[in-house]
Amino acid sequence: MELKQFRKKSPWLLHYNTGSCNGCDIEILACLAPKYDLERFGILNRGNPKQSDVLIVTGPVTKRAKARLLRLYYEMPEPKVVVAVGACACTGGVFRHMYNVENGVDSVIPVDVYVPGCAARPEAIIDGVVKALEILEKKKKAFEKGKVCASVPAPEKGVNRKSFLKKCLEGLYAGRRD
Amino acid sequence: MSFGLALFLTLISPVVGGFIYGLERIVRARMQARLGPPLLQPFYDFLKLMEKRPVIVHSFHAFMGIMYLIGTWFALFVLLSGGDLLVAIFFHLLSLAFLVVGGFSVRSPYSVIGAMRELLHMVAYEPLYVLAAAGLYLTTGTFEVSKILSASTPPVVYLPLVFLAVLLSLPTLLKKSPFDLAEAHQEIIGGPEIEYSGRFYEAIYTAKWIEYVYTFFFVFLFAGSHYLLGAALVVAAFFLVNLIDNVTARVNFRQMVAFHWYVLIPVAIVNLLLLALWRS
Repeated sequence: MELKQFRKKSPWLLHYNTGSCNGCDIEILACLAPKYDLERFGILNRGNPKQSDVLIVTGPVTKRAKARLLRLYYEMPEPKVVVAVGACACTGGVFRHMYNVENGVDSVIPVDVYVPGCAARPEAIIDGVVKALEILEKKKKAFEKGKVCASVPAPEKGVNRKSFLKKCLEGLYAGRRD
Repeated sequence: MSFGLALFLTLISPVVGGFIYGLERIVRARMQARLGPPLLQPFYDFLKLMEKRPVIVHSFHAFMGIMYLIGTWFALFVLLSGGDLLVAIFFHLLSLAFLVVGGFSVRSPYSVIGAMRELLHMVAYEPLYVLAAAGLYLTTGTFEVSKILSASTPPVVYLPLVFLAVLLSLPTLLKKSPFDLAEAHQEIIGGPEIEYSGRFYEAIYTAKWIEYVYTFFFVFLFAGSHYLLGAALVVAAFFLVNLIDNVTARVNFRQMVAFHWYVLIPVAIVNLLLLALWRS
């Protein structure tokens, strides 16, 4: 009996909209409502990065939402998984290559599960979350840097997440004035 | 009640509280026509939080979270060991003060707002609980829990209005809708508990289970030595609290304090006055 196996029995969600049209967000809320009832798997929508295990992201990640998405990602304690819900979150969707978007969540933070669809159906979201729980069980507890901030140095133990994010964003926005 | 039995009951009270919380989640889900989580869900959450990596803001904040757990646990021990009712009430107040200090010690606005609202909760229900203790004193002649539990006539017979007032203020004590201002999950995401994570959040989570046992034991006191009646009162109070939680929306803090100070406390005082007049 290991503690690890309880990860998938009580996953708490954090849901973030990075400029989505709200279609996928409504489907996520439909999953939590009586018809699909995600709480029967022990899933709670906490809305608090510090107590969540699964980050559900919708939307193509606008330039403005990028820093917030990074911040939420680093505020979540490990182990954690990221689920990209909807066509926009997977690839950028109809907004791909527009001047104001980042072409999907995986260009900013590492994504574990992609749920396609416009909007993604509740059944597909439940399948995606269940898939994410299998990945969550295998995850390690080490600090995850991701691709965007990979060049920023961080100590092996006791990372100060606030200063790490600050250095990362300084590197990202060097020379910009907005 | 002997010291050893009281200690044993206090030590298993988080398990009992966990089951109450699990049952509550199922009852709430069934009231909303959902299936709901398994009964052991709070313990799964507990074990998951144990394994999760803790991220703390500063050590004093984390310490206050643990003190909240210890304070609540000690308040329950005072009740279960047959101690003084007023001491238990004030220790419970002290444990919440730890939570408030912890909430104020971080710069998160949600945490600070939640801590302020937690203070308003105390302002609202604390006088009522002291009045209820006074009512129990008037009927049984003592503040000692062990003697209240051996009263031959159930105190609820003399204190129907006080019992009603306590029943209607249970949502405030347990932070349930319509009086769940301090941890309004949709607007301030848990209030003072927002910045805790991992095993420090677990302390808060367990303290809430203990608070369930504390609150329902308080209801149980109103039956005196009639333990079956006490159990019936507790079950009725449990369902009433969950029903109210499901059918009402959150009020603002003025309405909450006004409801307690202009409705519940006068109702309790009227009961105490009539009782004192009838006795003399």
